[in-house]
Amino acid sequence: MDFPQNMSMEAAFALAEAEAKLDAALQESRERFEQAIIPNRLNEDWRFGRPHKYATALAELLQSSLLSHGVATVLHAEEAAVRITAEDDDLRQTEMLMPTIGSDAMLGMHLKRFGQGYALYIEESTTEPIVITYRGGELYTPATFIMVAPGVKAHVIEHHIGSPGSTMFATRNIQVAEGAALKVELTSKGFEHYMCITNIQNMGGKVSHLTAHEDSAWVREETVAEIYTAGADTRLFSANHLGGASVLDQHTKQIHHVGEATSDLLYKNVLDGKATATFAGNIYVAPGAHNTDAYQSNRNMLLSENATTNSLPGLEILADKVRCSHGSASAPLDEEQLFYLCSRGIPQYEAQKLVAQGFLEDVLSRFNKDEQ
Amino acid sequence: MSLIIKNLCARVKDGADILNGINLEIPSGEVHAIMGPNGSGKSTLSKVLCGHPDYEVTGGSVSLDGQDLLAMSVDERSRAGLFLAFQYPVEVPGVTNANFMRAAMQARLPKGEDVDAVSFYKELRGRMKQLGMDTKFTARAVNEGFSGGEKKRNDILQMMMLQPSYAILDETDSGLDVDALRIVSDGVNAMRAPFRSFLVITHYKRLLDYIHPDVVHILSQGKIVKTGGFELVDHIENHGFDFLKTTKE
Repeated sequence: MDFPQNMSMEAAFALAEAEAKLDAALQESRERFEQAIIPNRLNEDWRFGRPHKYATALAELLQSSLLSHGVATVLHAEEAAVRITAEDDDLRQTEMLMPTIGSDAMLGMHLKRFGQGYALYIEESTTEPIVITYRGGELYTPATFIMVAPGVKAHVIEHHIGSPGSTMFATRNIQVAEGAALKVELTSKGFEHYMCITNIQNMGGKVSHLTAHEDSAWVREETVAEIYTAGADTRLFSANHLGGASVLDQHTKQIHHVGEATSDLLYKNVLDGKATATFAGNIYVAPGAHNTDAYQSNRNMLLSENATTNSLPGLEILADKVRCSHGSASAPLDEEQLFYLCSRGIPQYEAQKLVAQGFLEDVLSRFNKDEQ
Repeated sequence: MSLIIKNLCARVKDGADILNGINLEIPSGEVHAIMGPNGSGKSTLSKVLCGHPDYEVTGGSVSLDGQDLLAMSVDERSRAGLFLAFQYPVEVPGVTNANFMRAAMQARLPKGEDVDAVSFYKELRGRMKQLGMDTKFTARAVNEGFSGGEKKRNDILQMMMLQPSYAILDETDSGLDVDALRIVSDGVNAMRAPFRSFLVITHYKRLLDYIHPDVVHILSQGKIVKTGGFELVDHIENHGFDFLKTTKE
């Protein structure tokens, strides 16, 4: 290792220690990818995710000779956006260190295809939202990195757009520095298979993160939100209207490494037809992370008797003086609300649509109310 | 033109019989009041007329301007001219008052025609002013977090916007303070017209002092047991419903 000439001995030791830590973490990651197996039913994190069908199909595609291909565009980013290449070793290392929720094998396969997508280095507050769009073909494996500098306010919108028979497997790394504020929304639409692994690292800023998926046969979403600094505020939202035989498999972790910080999650789904939604969320409060506020709520509205929901909220609290709660509820459409709307002449189908939109509306309004 | 109810019998689905042969005719332009003790079937009658799914019609017929009301779906009944101001207006989270009303108006237009947004909002705000409602309520979710009185006013606002031919007011006076009662009653009275009828369900004279009925009916055990003029209201106010027991005996 080469040290700058004017570096103090103390700083040189600290740098060497940090480098050693990184090497060890990378080595650990290499080992986890080597040991990882394609998810199956015995994997608790894939229990309701039909791994025999979807994970296997995705893995086969990722391991095939098919090239990852898609079109990536970015708007209103000025100098902040950089197109990722296969030579970006620092970003590749960041992806290597990403936590997953039962999908190490899949992340390992994504890494082998690393080199597509955008990195946003946001050092000045944005006036307009930065919009990233990934349009995928048969197989597309983009990565997004969003890094927001201290005190900067930003709004980022990501659209992931597919076509019939298309597959996308995306990763997203979001880092928010102290005093920064980031609103970030992700929409996906029109895939046969869609998987997304997101890691949010909050270093003392405010993050509001919203996802909305529509018109895909299968969606697997893993979101790990980590809190590293007191005062951090992380809010996770998701609102989805599912129909047909679509499958939405959402997994979240809110990890409080330190105390005096807040995380809040609200995931809501409306399910029609034979749709299935699974939510498995965990709040982890590390030892010593006192005065943590962490909340988690999953709500589902069922428009059809054939729709299915699996909701598995969880808490793991290893600190004192915390305020944590979790809850889930799934219920059919409220018949009284439907009757009220119909009694004003609104046809049943329209009334049902209004009630369903209303059910999801508070997710969107809470996200929209959050300041950038 | 009239609402004609003949020998209407209904029960809670898979439950007890509540309406046991109602006969009632409300010609256009008239205001009828229904009074009766708790559990006599007043609210059930209003819900059955509007097609509430919790109730099952077991006999009789209802004709609305010559059309078979009972053969229509809930929304068709509304578009045919029937309106119910609910005893307990329902909260619909996430659906704004304006969007709700607009959807209801849109449902009345022929295919391909759209509600004119400018005139719609102008009328909505004007009606709200008439009812003493803050226009901010247009952006609030339907009845969510509203006080009892605000909910009732909101129902009357809907009635004013939809201009039904037959309006049923189910205990609209409950939960209203004196001032709100007057404002709501003024709103209803302003809508009285030769082509519009009202069926006012209430326990108390105070509403009928404002909305003076042409005919008063007493409902007991799912049947209309007495019909008369305003003197019946006075009688009930002074003596209660005890006379019904005497009548039966």
